[in-house]
Amino acid sequence: MSDEESSPTAGAGAATATNSPEKIQTAVESLTAIVPSLSITSQSLLSNPNLYPQISTLLRKPNSGSGDNNLCRWLYDTFQSGVPDLQLLVLRFLPLIAGVYLSRVADRKPQAGFEAVLLALYAHETTSRAGQAVTVTIPDLTQPSVYHESKTPIKSNATEPNLAVVSPTLEPHGTVRSTRRARIVGVTLELFYSKIAHMPASSKVDFCEFCRIWAGQDGDMYKNFEENENGNGSENREKEGSEMVVPKKVEGRVPLPWELLQPVMRILGHCLLGPNNNKEVELFGAASEACRCLFARGTHDVNPQAILPMRSLLRLSKTVMPNSNALDPTELPVTDVISL
Amino acid sequence: MESSESEDVTTVREFSANGTCMKITEVEAKLDEGNIEEAESALREGLSINSEEARALLGKLEYQRGNLEGALRVFDGIDLEAAAQRLQSSIAEKQPTKKVSQHAASVVLEAIYLKAKSLQKLGKCTEAANECKGVLDAAEKTFCQGTPDTQVDEKLQEIVSHAVELLPELWKGAGCYNEALSAYRNALLSQWNLGNDFCARIQMSFAVFLLHSGVEASPPSLAVQVEGSYVPKNNLEEAILLLMISLRKFGLSKTAWDPSVMEHLIFALSTCGQTSTLAKLFEELMPGIYHRIDRWNSLALCHCGAGKNKSALNLLRMSLHKHERPDDLISLLLAARICNEDPHLAAEGAGYAQRAINNARGLDEHLKGVGLRMLGLCLGKQARVASSDFERSMLQSKALQSLEEAVRLEQNNSDLIFELGIQYAQHRNLTSALRYAKQFFDRTGGSKLEGWRLLALVLSAQKRFSEAEVVTDAALDETAKWEQGPLFKLKAKLKISQLRPMDAIEIYRYLLALVQAQRKSLGPPKLSSQGEDDKINELDVWHGLANLYSSLSHWKDAEICLQKARELKEYSAATIHTEGVMFDGRGQSHEALVSAANAVLFEPNYVPCKILMASLMLKIGPKALPVARSLLSDALRIEPTNRMAWYHLGLTHKDDGRLRDAADCFQAASMLEESDPIEGFSCIL
Repeated sequence: MSDEESSPTAGAGAATATNSPEKIQTAVESLTAIVPSLSITSQSLLSNPNLYPQISTLLRKPNSGSGDNNLCRWLYDTFQSGVPDLQLLVLRFLPLIAGVYLSRVADRKPQAGFEAVLLALYAHETTSRAGQAVTVTIPDLTQPSVYHESKTPIKSNATEPNLAVVSPTLEPHGTVRSTRRARIVGVTLELFYSKIAHMPASSKVDFCEFCRIWAGQDGDMYKNFEENENGNGSENREKEGSEMVVPKKVEGRVPLPWELLQPVMRILGHCLLGPNNNKEVELFGAASEACRCLFARGTHDVNPQAILPMRSLLRLSKTVMPNSNALDPTELPVTDVISL
Repeated sequence: MESSESEDVTTVREFSANGTCMKITEVEAKLDEGNIEEAESALREGLSINSEEARALLGKLEYQRGNLEGALRVFDGIDLEAAAQRLQSSIAEKQPTKKVSQHAASVVLEAIYLKAKSLQKLGKCTEAANECKGVLDAAEKTFCQGTPDTQVDEKLQEIVSHAVELLPELWKGAGCYNEALSAYRNALLSQWNLGNDFCARIQMSFAVFLLHSGVEASPPSLAVQVEGSYVPKNNLEEAILLLMISLRKFGLSKTAWDPSVMEHLIFALSTCGQTSTLAKLFEELMPGIYHRIDRWNSLALCHCGAGKNKSALNLLRMSLHKHERPDDLISLLLAARICNEDPHLAAEGAGYAQRAINNARGLDEHLKGVGLRMLGLCLGKQARVASSDFERSMLQSKALQSLEEAVRLEQNNSDLIFELGIQYAQHRNLTSALRYAKQFFDRTGGSKLEGWRLLALVLSAQKRFSEAEVVTDAALDETAKWEQGPLFKLKAKLKISQLRPMDAIEIYRYLLALVQAQRKSLGPPKLSSQGEDDKINELDVWHGLANLYSSLSHWKDAEICLQKARELKEYSAATIHTEGVMFDGRGQSHEALVSAANAVLFEPNYVPCKILMASLMLKIGPKALPVARSLLSDALRIEPTNRMAWYHLGLTHKDDGRLRDAADCFQAASMLEESDPIEGFSCIL
């Protein structure tokens, strides 16, 4: 994962040099054939501001995910080209593809086109991880580390390292079996998350929008979450209740098993707490709403594994609100006497 | 402007240097006219300072006034780079007479720092970062061998600490994440003599960066690592380590409490399924940080997330006590959910659910449906241990009523729809059960194994075996190998019901091959939230096969299978039951009775054994009839829909000469047979 260029500014320039120009040219030509209104060249393919909105519109069309859909084919071929920049380009559309796909599952529409793209992403992740699980060792503070010393350095490994599985092993899948659907989509989201520093805000906004839909719960009642809960919370709640608006009617709820929920929550964490994200007002707003809706969903499912992280995210998002006038610790004190 | 300030006696704004003071207002006027030079010379004369120092003071004034561009203009008048270099060279010459005072250094560094801050506020983060880096480079070079005095100048230390903290923020602002990363590491791993609060803030900010920037950082270099120490391998590990250290520092009262540290830890640990670690951290926190009820509730969520429901329930019982916070909805719902897992706690759970419903008002009204759902589930569970028929049927109908009410509020909740399906199926209302099963199936797009199984079982109960088989086959296509166990078992039973035992035997053989394969590809690490449910249960397979062979009177094969089952689990009521059936089949009634009695002793609530024992008693003769009858009544108390129990109870009555009662029982048995699934519905739950 880390061998990719990680800075978004350095990324684009350095990568194009090593990319195959012919493949990019092919991608441009075939895309222009599908979307003639789009004027792109191989130079502007990655930076064209019209690309994302135009393709999004097409992907949202009723029959966009069918097996004979040209755009799906283009996305598939482009991703399979193996050119990192092109793969990142395809990845931008993943939130939309996954979102539209999962929302349409209940309609029993054939979505072979979407599935092909999702499987390609899944296969890519399976190969790059060699099918292995992603684990982390939970630090044990009795052992010293670069950041701290420990008075009792226990040499023996008496305590088993505490291993947490972030993502289990991956099996190859040639088709989307319905019971594996969530896992496959979840893994593609894991891939998205690993490249999220390269993803444009519009793509993340779409993701948040789908989180809201998937949650299938209105989250507006958590807008002022914990703001006036000082012991007499229940009284406050009742008072507000009298002037409450009727909850919105929401549709599009999908099952959110852990394998899907987990990457969703991590991406959402980035959207809310990532560097500079609070400057993106639209993204921040969408992410906050998604967060509220997923928290509501967690409570409806009475699922501690969703309640805990989403509640923390809700609380943390308040601390990084755009224009929140939190004290800047790097500010020097203002004094009346200015001295040397 | 001047008048307003002269009135304000308490705040005299002035410059001070070399022991003399000067009113700010005098200089301010010149600055406002744009005469930096004049302002500078006025200061130089008034305070007997050099031009650089005067500029530094002016810049500071402009900065404090919020005139950032003005501040930059003033700072541009000093060659800060040259000044910084002068500092360094004088150190290098090691001339005691030309000793650089830390004070002189701090004047220059503060000026550069303020320049960086001004640039930052003007949105020029890259330039700001370069200036800020200049502060650190200069400080590092000037004092690479320590400060000339034994005490570090307080102001110098403060400027340096601020610069250390600011630099990564600036790189982040500029979008240069790799630079930010090394700035963070440099801040934490170099000797900057940072105060605890500085350090805590930087650690926290770095942890957040690691967790959420999406930039995969390479691990800290080996140079800074001590042998035997813990080395974080990736962002997540490093972030968790830093947050845990922050938490510990607070525990040692070295830093002020920052609630976000804990919130970040909660997010980081719970998203990788480590709520048990989280629980430990909550337990270690000093009392008073969180309100005790908040702590109990958070701990309960952690324990429940880690599957320790008993501990969670104990905590919830405390927090829901009438003197604590009895109306907390999430806690009430969680408590009800946990109680629902044990029929003996279900009544308690129903109480929590009812309280949740009563309290679902105002902003929380949306949770009313959840409360009703929990109430329905708990009542349904409670019905299982009801002491009388009357109580049972009352609880069951209440349960259904609650669930129906819940589904009106939560129309989209597929889990609820599934639970309704099961509830109706257990009630043998197969039409409604089928409707909900189909609905669940559609809503989840077939993504849930239990959806497929419920559908197949309901169809089998309706005696639509071939359709059930189609469903099962389709389900097999949609599942991965290791999850196919329950489906194949279902399929085998369907074959048996369709009187095709040889097909069933084939299926069992295939299952055994799967078990073998499973053993070879030993356990991939599982998500800690995942149970062991996607494994084929070998014991079940052998047991099923033994039953099948014994029903075909293939005693030898049955015996082999049973032996295999015994190797896996020596004492199991199910295996001993099969053993009893075999003895009975071979006419060894006495041995059969012994087996049945043994099995009942192992598992007093195992219904098939009670029935077997009763049927054997029946054969003994009229003296044993009362025993048989009580055994069967007991079986029916546990499993009121068991048709075999009804049938044998009928036989008992008949032998006793109570023909009318016998007829009633036989009728019940025959009615139940018409709606009997090939496996109990409760096996899906």
